[in-house]
Amino acid sequence: MLHPVSKFVSRAGTILGGLLAAAVLALTAPAANAQIKIGFQAPLTGFAATDGKSAMIAAQMAIDEINADGGLLGQKLQLVPYDDQAKPDQAIFTANKLIGEDGVKLVVNASYSASGRAAASVFQKAGVLMIAAYGVHPDITTAGDFMFRLVHLGPPQGEATALFIGKTLHLKRISAITMDNDYGQATMDGFLAAASKYGIQVVNKYSYALSDRQFGSIVASVKRDNPDGVYATGYFFTGGPLISQLRAGGVTAPIIGSQAFDSATLIKIAGPAAEGTYVVDSFDRGRKDAALQKFFADFQKRAGYPPENVAAITYSAINLMADAITRAKSADPAKVRDALAATKNYALLTGDLIGFNKLHEIIMPINVNVVKDGKFVSFVKLDDLTAFAPPDK
Amino acid sequence: MYYVDLAVTGLSFGCMYALMAVGLTLVYGLLRILHIAHAAVFALGAYITVIVANASGSILLGLLAAIAFTPLFGMAIYRVLYQPLLSYRPDVPMIASVGLLVLMQDAFRIAFGEQGVTFQNNVYLFEIFDIGGERVNAVQIAIVVCTILVFIGLHLFTTRTRIGIAWRATVSQPKIATSFGIDAERVRYLCFAIGSALAALAGGLVGLLDNLVDPVIGYVVSYKALAIIVLGGLGSVRGTLIASLVLGLIESYGTIFIGSWLNRDAIAFVALIVLLLVRPQGLTGVRAP
Repeated sequence: MLHPVSKFVSRAGTILGGLLAAAVLALTAPAANAQIKIGFQAPLTGFAATDGKSAMIAAQMAIDEINADGGLLGQKLQLVPYDDQAKPDQAIFTANKLIGEDGVKLVVNASYSASGRAAASVFQKAGVLMIAAYGVHPDITTAGDFMFRLVHLGPPQGEATALFIGKTLHLKRISAITMDNDYGQATMDGFLAAASKYGIQVVNKYSYALSDRQFGSIVASVKRDNPDGVYATGYFFTGGPLISQLRAGGVTAPIIGSQAFDSATLIKIAGPAAEGTYVVDSFDRGRKDAALQKFFADFQKRAGYPPENVAAITYSAINLMADAITRAKSADPAKVRDALAATKNYALLTGDLIGFNKLHEIIMPINVNVVKDGKFVSFVKLDDLTAFAPPDK
Repeated sequence: MYYVDLAVTGLSFGCMYALMAVGLTLVYGLLRILHIAHAAVFALGAYITVIVANASGSILLGLLAAIAFTPLFGMAIYRVLYQPLLSYRPDVPMIASVGLLVLMQDAFRIAFGEQGVTFQNNVYLFEIFDIGGERVNAVQIAIVVCTILVFIGLHLFTTRTRIGIAWRATVSQPKIATSFGIDAERVRYLCFAIGSALAALAGGLVGLLDNLVDPVIGYVVSYKALAIIVLGGLGSVRGTLIASLVLGLIESYGTIFIGSWLNRDAIAFVALIVLLLVRPQGLTGVRAP
């Protein structure tokens, strides 16, 4: 029979040995289990799928690059994507999945206004940080302090357009053509409110739907208006046909388009008619920036087509999130939020972000592109920040 | 000048709608099925046109390819989707049709991309003719000419040829037609073949006119063509033509008066509601006793 002390020692040893083994295992466990999850919502199917696909490719590219560089805070980043189809009900559904099933605390929303706004209220209530890459509805940031937006709101874009048309192009009589969704109307509202400040007279207003591709009656009416310039809000797949038909109909006045005209496909659709078209708040592709040119080449290789604004801003959203996590030294949403709010002079692909205002809207100059020789080139940078300052409550 | 501009636009819209909707009315006339998937056939025609035109360099070849191959798709839809469901209430095949349309739109997106496909050398769109001060492009002229040819052709076909007369017989009196030795199944396949070929032609022409074929190109067709055939009097080819032209003109003139707060579709449907309240049987239909 073993001496009682020996029995105690061997029993203690076994327990200690077990604890030591467990401790060693825990400390040397592969870091793959500890990942920082970044939730991602984009319209991968449905009418907005063009933008959703670009955003998805750009986001994954950013994540892959960060992970190749060693990740953040010693952990790898994991993108947790969901398709919200640009629909509010799907946005809410996928937001709840991200919160409940995936336990995600940091989200990049690369969707349209209506869906972004629906997701914002869900995330704010759950204390989840959300960066909206390009959704322009005001309610996205007014949902609360966990919300950030990386693109100019519709109304400031419109105000900047009024500044551009009035002070840079010196045009007086303008025909205004609005696309009748959140984005098109909000942007046009900003333009109409600021027009008189720059001596612009809106001769007539027209409206069309996202599904329209034939604008015969609008073209006839604009011809009759005989304006100094035409301003239209919309997307490249409405803007392209519109420009083509305006020129074919004999309208020679300069055409100024809104941000979403900014796509190589617009030039393909309108052909020679696109020459000379201005796009306000567009992506300066020619900027002498090594990071930008690398992004261009890498995206083209991954996607098979050149990136547009949506891809660039989504890529930057992921990178800015990563930068904030690094500065906060934590993935805790409240800490990352504070780091984001304190951002100063960060280089987004789309331009230099000076900072965020109290409502977490961006303070940033606006670039205007023009189509020259079948390509977009930067025409002017509007930096009168007070002229298009975003609201701060 | 302005009002002539608008008339030309209205005519252009009207002919576009007529070509889009005629296939739908042919199918309804024969089978009393609302062939919503007609919009998918239309979109397929547009895609075949642009893909073949870009690959071969000839737009005409693209159109011919679309007209030749889309009927096979149309006939397959009949065989797979409608034929098994003929004994059920008409809304059953209609739901299947809606399902097919939704499926096809996503299939186009997956196969050809969300950005859409543009014509690499769309010479006809950029060829502008000045006819009495009105600037129109070659595609618009083609649409009007095709509409005229199609409707005259259909009229001659259904009144002067044996098959055409057999078709009309099957529409109005299917049982008696069969007892005369007319093969109703053959007539149905022919109906889908012709209806699909016309949808493909419409798709190709609209694709040329927009210079863009994207997955949602059939979207407008899916509801507007339906509205047009109801307005025209279900099953009436002549009614479809009249309703198309009327709607085209209403849209064109309507947008200048209330275009700043109602878009074209809203105007079209308000007009549709008003017209149907006044004449529920459609413009050429016969009022139910």
